[in-house]
Amino acid sequence: MGGWMGKVLDVNLTTGEIVKHPLDMELARQFLGGRGLGARMLWDEVGPDVDPLSPGNVLIFTSGPLTGTGYQTSNRFSVSTKSPLTGTVLDANSGGFWGMQFKKTGYDAMIVRGKADKPIYIEIKPDGVTIKDAQHLWGKVVSETTKALGQNNNKRNVLCIGPAGENLSRIAAIMNDGERSLARGGPGAVMGSKNLKAIVVEGKERPDIVDDGKFKFMLYETRKLLRASPLTSQALPEFGTVVMMNVVNNIGALPTRNHRQAMFEGAEAISGETLTEKYLVKNSACWACPIGCTRISKTDKVEGEGPEFETTWAFGAECGIDDLSAIIEANHVCNEMGLDTISAGSTIACAMELSEIGLLDSDLRFGRADLIVKTVEAMGYRRDLGAELADGSLRLAKRCGRPDLSMSSKGMELPAYDPRGMQGQGLLYATSNRGGCHMRGNMLGLEVLGLPKLIDRFQVQGKSSYVILHQNMAAMIDSLVICKFTNMGVAEEYFARALAAVTGIQYSTGELIKVGERTYNLERLYNLREGFTKADDTLPPRLLTEPVPDGPSKGWVSKLEPMLKEYYRARGWDENGVPRPNKLAELSLAQFVEAVR
Amino acid sequence: MIDERIYEQFKEIGRDLYEQTMISSHGGNISIRLGDRVVIKRRGAQLGRLKPHDLIETGLEKNDSGVTLASTELLAHRTIYMKTPALAICHCHPRTAIAFSLSRDEIVPIDNEASYLLKKVPVIWEEFASGTPEMANKLAEALQSYKIVMLRGHGSFAIGQTLDEAFFWSSTLEEACQIMLMAKLINEPFIEYRRMSEAYGKW
Repeated sequence: MGGWMGKVLDVNLTTGEIVKHPLDMELARQFLGGRGLGARMLWDEVGPDVDPLSPGNVLIFTSGPLTGTGYQTSNRFSVSTKSPLTGTVLDANSGGFWGMQFKKTGYDAMIVRGKADKPIYIEIKPDGVTIKDAQHLWGKVVSETTKALGQNNNKRNVLCIGPAGENLSRIAAIMNDGERSLARGGPGAVMGSKNLKAIVVEGKERPDIVDDGKFKFMLYETRKLLRASPLTSQALPEFGTVVMMNVVNNIGALPTRNHRQAMFEGAEAISGETLTEKYLVKNSACWACPIGCTRISKTDKVEGEGPEFETTWAFGAECGIDDLSAIIEANHVCNEMGLDTISAGSTIACAMELSEIGLLDSDLRFGRADLIVKTVEAMGYRRDLGAELADGSLRLAKRCGRPDLSMSSKGMELPAYDPRGMQGQGLLYATSNRGGCHMRGNMLGLEVLGLPKLIDRFQVQGKSSYVILHQNMAAMIDSLVICKFTNMGVAEEYFARALAAVTGIQYSTGELIKVGERTYNLERLYNLREGFTKADDTLPPRLLTEPVPDGPSKGWVSKLEPMLKEYYRARGWDENGVPRPNKLAELSLAQFVEAVR
Repeated sequence: MIDERIYEQFKEIGRDLYEQTMISSHGGNISIRLGDRVVIKRRGAQLGRLKPHDLIETGLEKNDSGVTLASTELLAHRTIYMKTPALAICHCHPRTAIAFSLSRDEIVPIDNEASYLLKKVPVIWEEFASGTPEMANKLAEALQSYKIVMLRGHGSFAIGQTLDEAFFWSSTLEEACQIMLMAKLINEPFIEYRRMSEAYGKW
């Protein structure tokens, strides 16, 4: 068998019991690994009666069949859990080195269940798995914890939470290798709720590769394509993901001041070009990644990884701030606290609007760059105003009596693309299984970048088909698990052939995308079992009713309703968004029909 | 009612197919998938001169009155949509590629562009090659793993996320075949310039 290691580790923090199971290979074939396998395991583990922050919730860390093989960007791993932010199924994935190292320990997945009676960390080494005392680490920020536990990129890798996770912030991230993050949906709070400060991995195993000759050919061809694409060989390495700032702003789809506008007059000052010119120290890359989009940036006060495009937008345009050094510092504090930067920035933007209209007693105002760093720190420690903001924008806006001012879907803050200027993106957010998110598929490629070919971003009819395909493809990529930027230069047929070379199982491109569709439908069933309905597949009222005031998207609102209707039909779901039995049978999910009836 | 933006896409690709001699006056057909619906060229319409009424919308799985007007290849298009991730299909009659399909089971390009984009194009065959379920199934199966497939002596079927993309694969194949033909006519020893090219035939 190639690709998979064939073992699952099960750690019960309540009892201290550590068990190893064989990996169910039928599940592995159907769901691959990462997000897909995580969703399937979560279905059995965590039902609707479980509070996300209770010991009954689990954390499922997964690698994929390509992880650690050396295929381009095969460094990633995933965590699945029930989200404390949204209450939906959640997965988040991250790059760096930890995922590769976890696979080298010989496990495809690790379930962490229960709750320790005091702070602990888990150490996985070739000579065994141990639960160790972490009381001396509790309260420490991420960089201190990572250093204290002996981070060494290619040998020993640390995953941990910061104060935000310890304080059960519902937008807390899990951090790995210092500054990489499993960010969205609050998985850090689930770790905190278990008194689990960190997981350290050291391994020496390697996944088998069945057809080495074919695999080498796929490595060669993939490298050729990534070098040929200007996006993956020039734009991302030179400017990082922030290269999108001017691109998205120029088409009038950059949400600004809590989505009041869709163009930011200060975009140039916070662009990838400015970041590179004024603050870039050097580039960096995850393991086995030839793209190297990571930035190491420096201001007078801080030096570290980032910021990414979404972060720069959230603390920048969305807060009406064009001070890039303040944004870099806010990003740094988020990383130290272990906070999701998109949700943190967007929640501050929501607080700024609530304060401006007199519903929140604070000094926050659009453009107040001087307040964002200390606000983020207060969120991590849950003190002063930060305590109000630490659970995300929806809970804050509800308490202030204006839930409509939370720019979120299913409670998760929307990222940096305004659905009014990218119609498909709006449908994608509304139907995303983990809430408003651009990583569940992204219409940026088709609606803006022309990948593979440009479509009309304002077209409504037929948009559902593109959204569905890209949601399925994203679920598949998240299950392999590799980086979605690879897909900007390399088509999915390459992934199918690389997977076939590694595992010896002849996946066609169509079958591989079917894995993504299966995962998407299972996640949908999970959310239905949790009580979510069609009414949750929506966007903030502002985006549905307030036209963009100026710029290239002027006059547009999101035309969600007709797209949603078409989407359900095209997905093979009924008019209430429930997968039809024949669709589930087609996806080998027939056994789940009864659970949501 | 079909969106005018969609009609514009059909009109432009149809015209280009004709102007590039990828089809005869009334040959070929193109379609897109709109959720559980298909928009396809009307039977007998000229791709090079499409009018708004030449676009027929019908069900992906269910028949309606649209099938009375749709292209004779509707079955193949539907089957491909149901069995592959395709959102657009371009079926045309690229002449040089058809000529090569008469003497081989796969076309392995030798030029850089098509080696890079296509690697290999399978040639498939069925006794009743037009409008039959056997042919439709065979095509859909091949298109699970390849983005363009040749029907021996008939033409190509290419899939993509957009019509533009499916057309791209079609014209890339024809260009590759023209280059192969010219290389054969020149009849000089081939100098291999592509590393690991022996793997293309196993794609």
